[in-house]
Order: sequence, then C-alpha cells, then structure tokens
Amino acid sequence: MKILLALIKKEFKQIIRDPSSIIIAFVLPFISIMIYMYGINLDSVKVNIGIKNDDANPEVTTLVESFGKNKYINSIPYNNEKDITQAITRSKIKGAVIIPNDFSKKLSKGESSEILVITDGSEVNTANYIQNYASSITNGWLMTSKYKYLVTPPIINTELRAWYNQDLNSHNFILPGSIAITMTLIGILLTALVVAREWERGTMESLLSTQVRRIDIVLGKYIPYFCLGLTSMIFNVSMCIGVFKIPFRGNYFVFFLVSSLFLFTLLGIGLLISSKLKNQFLASQVSLGIGFLPALLLSGLIFPISSMPLFFQYLTGILPPKYFIIFVESEYMAGTIFEIVVINSIFLTILGAILFILVYKSTNMRLEK
Amino acid sequence: MNSIIIKNLTKKFGQITAINNLSLNIEEGKITGLIGADASGKTTLIRLIIGLLEPDNGEISILNLNPSKQKSEITKKIGYMPQKFGLYEDLTVIENLKLYADLRKQPYQFEKMLEFTRLYEFQDRLAGALSGGMKQKLGLACTLLGNPEILLLDEPSVGVDPVSRIDLMKMVKELITPKTTVLWSTAYLDEAHSFDKAVILDKGQVIFNGKPTDLAETTDKFEKKVIELMGGYKKEISKIAENYQTIEQNIEYSVVADNLEKKYGNFYAVKNNTFCIKKGEIFGLLGPNGAGKSTSFKMMCGLTKPTSGSAKIMGIDIKENPIKARSNLGYMAQKFSLYGSLTVEQNLKFFASVYGIGILNRKERINEILDIFDLREIANQKSESLPLGYKQRLSMACALIHNPPVLFLDEPTSGVDIIARHQFWNHITSLAKKGVTILVTTHFMDEAEFCDRISLFYKGEAITIGTPKELKEKANAETMQEAFIKLVQEDDE
Amino acid sequence: MIIDSLRRIIALIRKELITTWKDPKSRSIIIGLPLLQLIIFANAITMEVKNIDVTVVDRDKSVESRELLSHFENSPHFRKIYYADNENEFRNKIDTQKAKIGIYINNDFSRAIKSQKQTQVLVVLDGRQTNSAAIAGGYASEIINSYGSQMSKKQGAKINTVVRNWYNPNLEYRWFIMTVIIVMLSVVITMLLTALSIAREREMGTFDQLIVSPLSSFEIMVGKVIPPLIIAMFLTCLMTLIIIFGFKVPFAGSISLFLISIFISLFSIVGVGLFISSICKTQQQAILGVITFQMPAILLSGFISPIEDMPIGWQYLTMINPVRYFMTLSRGIFLKGMGTEDVMSNIIPLIIIAVVTLSIASWTFKRKLD
Repeated sequence: MKILLALIKKEFKQIIRDPSSIIIAFVLPFISIMIYMYGINLDSVKVNIGIKNDDANPEVTTLVESFGKNKYINSIPYNNEKDITQAITRSKIKGAVIIPNDFSKKLSKGESSEILVITDGSEVNTANYIQNYASSITNGWLMTSKYKYLVTPPIINTELRAWYNQDLNSHNFILPGSIAITMTLIGILLTALVVAREWERGTMESLLSTQVRRIDIVLGKYIPYFCLGLTSMIFNVSMCIGVFKIPFRGNYFVFFLVSSLFLFTLLGIGLLISSKLKNQFLASQVSLGIGFLPALLLSGLIFPISSMPLFFQYLTGILPPKYFIIFVESEYMAGTIFEIVVINSIFLTILGAILFILVYKSTNMRLEK
Repeated sequence: MNSIIIKNLTKKFGQITAINNLSLNIEEGKITGLIGADASGKTTLIRLIIGLLEPDNGEISILNLNPSKQKSEITKKIGYMPQKFGLYEDLTVIENLKLYADLRKQPYQFEKMLEFTRLYEFQDRLAGALSGGMKQKLGLACTLLGNPEILLLDEPSVGVDPVSRIDLMKMVKELITPKTTVLWSTAYLDEAHSFDKAVILDKGQVIFNGKPTDLAETTDKFEKKVIELMGGYKKEISKIAENYQTIEQNIEYSVVADNLEKKYGNFYAVKNNTFCIKKGEIFGLLGPNGAGKSTSFKMMCGLTKPTSGSAKIMGIDIKENPIKARSNLGYMAQKFSLYGSLTVEQNLKFFASVYGIGILNRKERINEILDIFDLREIANQKSESLPLGYKQRLSMACALIHNPPVLFLDEPTSGVDIIARHQFWNHITSLAKKGVTILVTTHFMDEAEFCDRISLFYKGEAITIGTPKELKEKANAETMQEAFIKLVQEDDE
Repeated sequence: MIIDSLRRIIALIRKELITTWKDPKSRSIIIGLPLLQLIIFANAITMEVKNIDVTVVDRDKSVESRELLSHFENSPHFRKIYYADNENEFRNKIDTQKAKIGIYINNDFSRAIKSQKQTQVLVVLDGRQTNSAAIAGGYASEIINSYGSQMSKKQGAKINTVVRNWYNPNLEYRWFIMTVIIVMLSVVITMLLTALSIAREREMGTFDQLIVSPLSSFEIMVGKVIPPLIIAMFLTCLMTLIIIFGFKVPFAGSISLFLISIFISLFSIVGVGLFISSICKTQQQAILGVITFQMPAILLSGFISPIEDMPIGWQYLTMINPVRYFMTLSRGIFLKGMGTEDVMSNIIPLIIIAVVTLSIASWTFKRKLD
C-alpha cells in the first residue's frame, strides 16, 4: 500500500512538472468545445443556389422572391443553363432551381406542375438540403399564391414532434457528444506515453528491482491519470453547461459514475498501447491513429451506427465512446433512463475490465529477451 | 559462506550466447569485482542473478532463493543499480530518495546519505539538472537505502570523474555492513584491484576467480595480467593511421579557442577559456563532472553558441563559416548518438556520404573501416542492439570516416573495456603522429598520460594548462589521478 | 558544390526512408493502419439513415392504418416495427432507444380517409440523435404523404420537384466520404511522419551529430521534407487506386491534375509538420502540436458542416487551413472533374501555406542552431 502511494505521489509530481499533461487535459478540451460549438453546425445550412425563371407570369416572380427571402438560401439569378453549369463546377453555387415556362399555366389549370432542382452531388449532405429546401419553399409559396384555392389539402397531415430536443437544435447533442470524442483522445494520449517513457529512460529497470508488485505498477499509473482525466471531464462538462448553456436533465451522480467507467476504459487503451510498445514514438503514432479518427467517425456521433453493415456495427462495439455517447446524450436531453444507464455501463465495465486484465498481463516484471 | 551460487548457467539471445555454461560462487561479506571485455556477459549475468532475465539453462541461488521463481522475495534483500540508473529526472533529489525509500519500505533517513554524496545543498534540485557524477551518487544512494544484503552495481563509475569515483567507493565501503555482499562490475582496473575478490568474464565464461592480489601485487601488473587473460593486447601498427591521408596544413594552430564564455543568467558555465592546439597535438580537457568541459566542447564544434569569444578550426571561425569549419572535423559524442535503427554498415554509409565521400571511394572506404575497426562480423546488425563497447567503436569509425584533420572526442572511452581502450589510444597517438589534431575529454587518468597537453577544468575555468609532467610536478604527485585530485582540492581551498 | 550538396541530401533521404520503412512496426503503422481505416470507414460511414426501428400505437386498427404501416415495413429505411399497446410502452420504447421514431395513429384515421376529411398522424422523433432523427422524420412524412395522396380522390394544383444530382446521380454517400477519408488519412499520416522526426532526433542525440557534420540547415530541411513526401505520396496514390478499383468510385477528373494537387497539398502539410517539429524540444510536445493542429484542421475543413455555415470570423480562420483546400481539390477533381483554373485557385493558397510554414520552420531551426 505504501509502495502504491509512493508511486502515485511520484506520478502526480511528474504531471505537475510537465505542462504537456495539463495542456492535454485542459487546453485541448477548450479548443475542441469551441470548434464543436461554433465551427460545426448540422441543422441549418446556408447555401448559394442559382435560379433561372423561364416563366414570364408575374405571379411566378413572387416564387423567385421567396427563394431570395429564405434564411437558408441565397439565390443568384442566372439567364442560361451554361452559366449555371459552370458555376456548379466551380462550386460557386451548390445547386440550382429552374422554373419551366409552362409552370404557371399548369397550376392555373389545377394540374400538377414541375420545377427542376439541380444539385452538386459531390457534396451529398448539401445536395439533400437543397432538395428539401426547394420543395418546402415551393410548397409554402403555393399555399400563399393565388393558386391556393386550386390546391386540394392533403387528407393525412404529418405532425412531427421531436422529444427531448423540441427544435432539433443540433448543438444540444453535438456538444455533449463531443465530450466523448474529446475525452477519448485525452484519455488515450495522457497514458499512451507514460509506461513507454519509463522503459526508455531506464527507470522501469530500477523499479523492477525494488519490491514493487505488478499491481502497484498498474494502479500507480491508472489512479493518477484517472484523477487528472476526471478533472478534465468536469471541466468539459461545466463548460458545456455553464458557458454554453446546454440543458442538462440528468443526474450528476449517475453522470459522474458512468464517466468514471468510461475514463477507466480509455486509460486502459492508452496504457495497453504504452506497455505493449515500450517506445514513445510508436506509442504516440498508434494512439493518434486510433484515438482520433475512429472515435470521431465510428462512434455514432455524426454517422449513425445503425446504418452500418452488421459486421461493422459489431466492430464499433469495441469503441468505448460509442457507449458513452448514447449515455451522455440521453443523460443530457432526456434525463436518467435506467435501462440506458445500465446497459451502457455494463458494456463499459466489460471493456474496461478486459483492458485492465490485458494491461496487467502485458506489464512485464522482467526485461524482455 | 556463499551468498550467490550459480551452476551451469546458460543464456542465449537468438543466435548469440551471452552466458555459456557458467558456474560461480560469490562469497558473503566480500566486495567482488566483475571484469570483462565488452559483450562478455557482465550485465546479462547481473540481470539473471536478480531475476530480471530468465536463464535458458542452469541454476542460480541467491541467499538460497531462486530468482526465476522467488523474485519478489529477492527484491526485499538486494539493491541493484543498473547501468542507466533510473532516476526520475523530473523529480528533485530529495523526491527521488523519498520515492525509493518508499519502494523499499524504508524510513526517510537521508542525513547520512546526503552528507556522503555531498548532495545536501542540492536536495531541491531536479535530478535531471545534476552533473553526471552527482547523478551516479544519487543513484547509488537510492540503491543503498535499507541496507540490502546483496548489492549489485553495474558499472556505477562509468563517466564519473576521479573525485566522484572515490566518493562512490567510500559510500559503498562505509554504508554497508560487514555481512553485505557486493558484486561490482567495472571497467576501471584500479578499482577492481582494490576489491576483495575479482571475477573475470570472457565470452560468457569465468576465466578467473580469486583475490586480485593473487594475480598481481600492483595495479599496473594487475592490468597487464587481466589483459593477458582476456586474450592479450599486442601493440600493432595502427591501420587507421596508416591509411590516413594527411592533408597539407600551413596553419600553426589547428584549433583555437579565444576567450570562450557561456553564461546562463548570472551563472558562468564557462569563463574565459583560451587555448591553442598545435597541429598533431593531443589536447586533453580534464575536470570533474559539471565543470564546464562539455559546454566548452559544444561551443568548440558549434552546437552551443558562446556568449562571447570565438572558436576556430583550421583557421576557420565556426560561427562565421560553420559548414566549412565542420568539414574539417570528426566528432564523437559522449552519448551514443548514431541511428539505432540503421545497421552498422548503413550508419557508415550514411556518414560517408554526408561527409562527401564519393560513390567510387565509398565502398572501398567502408570496407577498410569495417576491417580496421573489426566491425565486419556485425556489419548487418542494428546498431541499437550492440553492446556499449561496439557502439563506441562504431561512433569512432563514423567520426573518422572522412579523414578529418581535426578530431573532437567527448569521453570516447566511457564504458569501453581495457583492451579496446588500448587499441583506441594506439590509433589516437598514431593519428596524432600523422598530423591529426585531437581534442579529447576523459575520466581515465591513465589516458590523460597520453595527452601532449592538458587543460584542467574546474568550476567553469581552466585552473591549469600544461603537459602531464608539468601538472604532476605542480601537484607534487606521482600519478595523474593523484595530481587531478590534489589540484582540484587546492583550488577548492 | 551542388553535386556534393545533392549527395548529402540523398544520403539523408535514404537514411530517413530506411528508418521509417525498414522497421516492420513503423511500416505497419504508416501503411497498414491507414489502409485498414480506409476500408473500415468506407464500408461503415454513411449519413443515410437505415435500419430505423419504429414503435407504433395504432388506435384505429383498421385496414387503412395497417396499409399505411405496411408501407413502412416495405421501405428500405425502416426495419422493425414494435406495436405498443399503450402510451407508456410507446414512450418506453423511445426512451430506451429501442425505436428511433414513434408513429401514433388516431382512432379516426380510417373514418377520415373514407369520408375524405383531414386527419393527422403524429410522428415522434428521438431528438437525442438530432441529426438522424430529422432525417428519419423526413422519410416517415414522405411515406405518410404519399399514402395520403394515394387515398385522396381529388387531384388539385401541386408542384413536384424533379431532382437531378450532378456528379453523383444517386447521391451515394460513399463517393463523397471516400474522397474525404483519403484526405483525412493522408493528413494524419503525413503529420505523424514529419512532426516527430526532428524532436525524435533531438532526444536521441543524433541531431547533434547532423549539426556537427557539414550539412547545412537547408540541406537538413530538404532531407526532412522529401522522405515524408515520398511516403505520403505513395500512400495517397495507393488509397486512390483502392477507391477507384476496389470501391468503384468513378474518377471524373484529370489524373495529372490530381497528382499535382495531392503533391502540393501534402507538401503544405509537411510544411506545417516541420514547423511544429522545429519548435518542439521533445516528442511529447510534438504530439501535442500535432493534435492541436490536426483536430481543428480536420473538423473545420468543411466535411462535417460546410464552411459557409460558420460564423464569419471562423470562415476567415479556415483560409489558413491547408486541409480545407486539400479536401476541395480531392473532391472536386475526383467527382466533379474540376478544371485547371479552379484547381489553381486552390493550389495557390496551399503553396503560400507551404512557403510560409517552411520558411518559419527553417528560420526557427537555424536560429536554434546559432
């Protein structure tokens, strides 16, 4: 016990003396939260589109105007299709709306009329937005135009209601979710170098010749970085709640518990990399390679896991942030839901325990051959 | 009574047999010196004894315990100081002591230790900021905590100046109990001669085990006997010097240091350092660890910018025309600093091309170097896996590959075995005769005798410059070792 | 003189390539890791929302309501339908994320359709997964609306939008994401190769050895720039081939323009990497530098959300982000067949970034030596 305490004390002193741990734990999350807050926006996209009106009917000009007035669209008039083609190729506009010359004629007869929407398919998301905007703007216009009496109201109306996040504000889920992504990076980075460093500097050989037990070495690394990681987590969460006013409906105690579990698995990954590779250079490469992109892309924050092929859905199961994201979003927006908390905690515990065992096993008490 | 009993021990690393069917008993309460050429298996043997490595064959019993099964029992009773002692450089002196005291379950009683190590006033300094000698002393202090029954020291005096070496010896002798067994691996034969017992290893086997005084009465003779046992050294004509293409030089002084000075804040690391080295002269920079030798050295080759003053190599100012000045220079760093992931041959090739040896001559030159330095057998091994002595040899080979007229050698022989040192100095003196100018630092006082002139450095200043003979006369001493210690102490007073 | 200098540079390059390439561990990280990630990401990532599970409260239990629900069952987007008996069960399914959306059909549903009166279907979305919820909601209302117009006897005036998606007619998400992934992976690897290289030599002491040799700081810089460029170029080309032949993404543009573009893009990334390397003393600092550059650069490159959508100050900030131009070029040439003029307008900022970072790098580097 005394040995473990001594190792923990030593590690804390090293953390305090080395500004890079502090930077990883506090500056990095700050940068990241600013980016997710201001740089990333998933709900309202403002795009430039071209518009070409071939219908001389004055009523139709009001449709062109309503494209101009919309807060999501910035429309630029064009007179011929060639210019539109060129503008799309050059990414000046992301799409175009073309109103054919028989547009109003068909409407006035009470028939269905068409508009042509061209999109730049190379940016799939934006292309989808443009389709949706175009059809909602035209339909909105139709109901206020003079043709509105010729429209048969639909017999089934769909009422969309979003629970937990009424106005589907994407920051409400991106920011809490980003905590998981950022913490993954931080947790792995904090620990990925610490064991390798001891091997490289030769301090491990000295440690091994004392009465240090394997469990002391392992816990001596887990505990200090756990504390640091948890402080970083608290910093992150209080930024989200305090500064950016993201509503939190959950229970702080539950949140604290599951966060601890999550952190436990992350430190496991970092320590495993470090004690397997015993080399700071390789360890940092591996931890950057797996800590950033996979966490960002495969954990379900931006790209839904349920849409992946089954095999890859299972593959994401080894990523701790996957479970934490589900939990954190639910906790923030819906409050504590017993089943979600329990299931995800179980997965995190299993992962954490497996990692702990692996770390324990790969902590050598002898020098390698 | 034997505290360590080894029977038919064998340990292989891949193809290489490090320990070959070795049997050895080490007596309780005695200091046993472990001597051997590079790669003779000293470090491997020590690591096997404490269970950091597992033997392929044979038995070890240490205090009647088996290190491969009872490692945790053994660690309670031993103190082990690895070659690269693992101090936490970002912890202070006292924090390191406290840490190792806790790890060995000992109380915080460091008064005596701090006094012995003369680290009292430095206890709040970061271990990383200590000089080499102080680091070793602190490392030894950490090892000695808790009066271990067996003390295993793996070359604790490598790279340590004579004064600190005496301190280390004193620490061990005075801080152990009469029952403590010490196994001390060393490259200093004077040290080994003063121990109770000596064990000489060669190719993983014991070739001598007995009292050093049985082998020879005096240190000098002991050295000769050891060399004989290790295969003998015959002074040959240096092939390196033989093949050396001397360049015509019209300059009287090949290396000139003019009032070099380095200041960190208010602290002078080096103060008005002035010397001139004639063509073909061997100039030694001597001094205790942390006296400013390395800083002077770094300023001389342009690695550190002097606060004031200038350095010239072959008449070219290193600050004004660094590239041209450096092309005349062969440099060998204190720490092994070649590319570890490159093989011996690839390293040679790299430095050959960097120093502008044309493709046509390159192959020939590399072959020559491989022969001269006896590196042919290991030409395809990764250099990081080589034993220290071979690394040193390779560094020297890389420094000499382009036939430089000036050679800077920073502790070139730290950790190198006695025979290799003799060969090395044979090359150095022969090169000097051919007109190569050499600036060298060393902690081996027998090597200092080979220098034409010596500058003794202490506390950032040259306290005296002269030939070895002049220095000895000045100090009224018989050996350089004695002269060194006396002159440093005189300056202290 | 020049030949000597060239010889020294070649020696440096060979040494770098041997150290990074000969070591199997480092080789598998540099080539294996990105290729593995490429394959995983390409298969896994999509913004489309598929396999949506639905929970339903059907108060009507009529032929019509069942018919509507069968449309959901037959849609490729939806997977399971959980029939809930009451509101509690309905809520529970959504709370526990067993269902992403819930459909509530009133008991007047079939009556209204028969009498051609208006009725309402309530679609509840799980707002926690805001993005996919909105998309799933879109799919659901589409199905309901089309069922509604089928049932409607009268046809009045209405507007249909005919959509034509250029360059990617079926809006295949994979086409888009692959051109993005290739950029992200090359950036990550190039940064790793360059940013740690000088710091590592400093820690090992080999850097002193280089400085003491006749190598000039310019030669050392060149020797540090070229090897990562070679490796990154090789890797990027390999990934491109895999995308074209393995994943059958059509390559619309000019191959030579593409090669030039990735070369210059990688060159600017190397510049940033060396800049980080030149100011860092230890590997640990270098890694920190890499992360602090890489994370914002990739997140703000416009792949998750378009640059036009950021606050104006942030938009200006992205002008110094090389990844942004790299991504535009990769996507533009690959999918849109971008022409020389547009390529140039993206290459010029990259060249400026490369020149600036490399000059600062060699300046700090030289200054540290003196």
